[in-house]
Amino acid sequence: MKIVKNAVAGTLESSDAYVQVSPNEVGIEIVLESVVLTQFGDAIKASVMEVLAENEVTNAKVSVNDRGAIDCTIRARVETALKRAQGDN
Amino acid sequence: MEYTNFYEEFGSPLNPRKRRKLEEFLAKQDLRYDDQIEETCNLVDGDGNIAATCSLHANVLKCVAVSENYQGYGLSPRVVTLMINRANEKGIKHLFLFTKPKNYQMFSDMGFYPITQTEDILLMENERNGIDKYIDSLPKGESGENIGAIVMNCNPFTNGHRYLVETAANQCDTLHLFVLSEDKSEFPAAVRYELVKNGVEDIPNVIVHQTSDYLISSAVFPTYFIKDISKAEDANCILDLKIFCEHFAKKMNISKRFVGTEPTCQVTNAYNQQMKAVLSSYGIEVIEIPRKEFDGRAISASVVRDYLHKGDIEGTKNLVPPTTYEYLEKEGYRYKK
Repeated sequence: MKIVKNAVAGTLESSDAYVQVSPNEVGIEIVLESVVLTQFGDAIKASVMEVLAENEVTNAKVSVNDRGAIDCTIRARVETALKRAQGDN
Repeated sequence: MEYTNFYEEFGSPLNPRKRRKLEEFLAKQDLRYDDQIEETCNLVDGDGNIAATCSLHANVLKCVAVSENYQGYGLSPRVVTLMINRANEKGIKHLFLFTKPKNYQMFSDMGFYPITQTEDILLMENERNGIDKYIDSLPKGESGENIGAIVMNCNPFTNGHRYLVETAANQCDTLHLFVLSEDKSEFPAAVRYELVKNGVEDIPNVIVHQTSDYLISSAVFPTYFIKDISKAEDANCILDLKIFCEHFAKKMNISKRFVGTEPTCQVTNAYNQQMKAVLSSYGIEVIEIPRKEFDGRAISASVVRDYLHKGDIEGTKNLVPPTTYEYLEKEGYRYKK
């Protein structure tokens, strides 16, 4: 999947996550903010990387602002943002 | 009340009728509508009453409020999300907000991080340590013990500025020169920056920076939540100085700040006095350098602009360095009024 435009998914509400995806020249850049960064930062990053791999995204900037979402929510928000960012096809 | 029973109302900005309604709503919360607002988003209940609102001006969120009837419904993150989506569509990612210090928790829960605060105002941004990351990215030059700074607008760069920079540079190992990036002056930020950069190129220990988003420009500084509007100017100035001390000076080891003396303008003079008071509490020395004069008159950018307004480019020749004059010869006509 190729990321061609900026897109967002999710909200800033409690137990949700706000995900922004934008094009990147080369490679994956993840910026993570979370209320539970110290406890789950690495786990959340791993989940985001997995979703990117599943969708064969190799170049993208992903910013995740997590407000304490559970794993499946984070995955769903990232996937939605990716699909919105891939253009019209 | 069902959580979803609100509809979303957008305006860029709102039409006069809706705006009046919003003004009344804000007044109940002790807030004033800010005239510079570019985008507004409201959540409206089934009866047509505003339940929550959030506005945007440039990269600053303004006038965020929730009706007292709907406190505890989680409407503020909802309405702020809508506005951030909107900002995203406009390509604005890095957002700031000014609020009362008591709202810290609310905005912190939405992923905003404090930059600095005074008694009346809290400034936040939506990036963790954003300001420190920005300062880390600035060139620091050769380190030395004696590091100074000047913050100036240079509208445009004159011999007076040049003299101030030269004198200050002689008194420190490295001199950081911050040129205000706000596009509110007659000379656009990019031009002012270029003119300063070219004008001091030959002084080896000077590093020129743009203040980027971290200048609390008076253009975006909101006053709508400050009850006593006469205090707003003061509050703005203290916030500005605190950002300088707590972030720029601390991270760059700046121990001296240089300013030109202000013989005429009362406002600038008051600002300089305030600067001495605030900076000394952080152990930073403020050094006033007398203005350079030409023909018995202090050289100031406003005199240069007066000449340009009249279309008299020649008249500025003795007041500006050759680098600035070169620009004025080509582009000076643009500033004629």
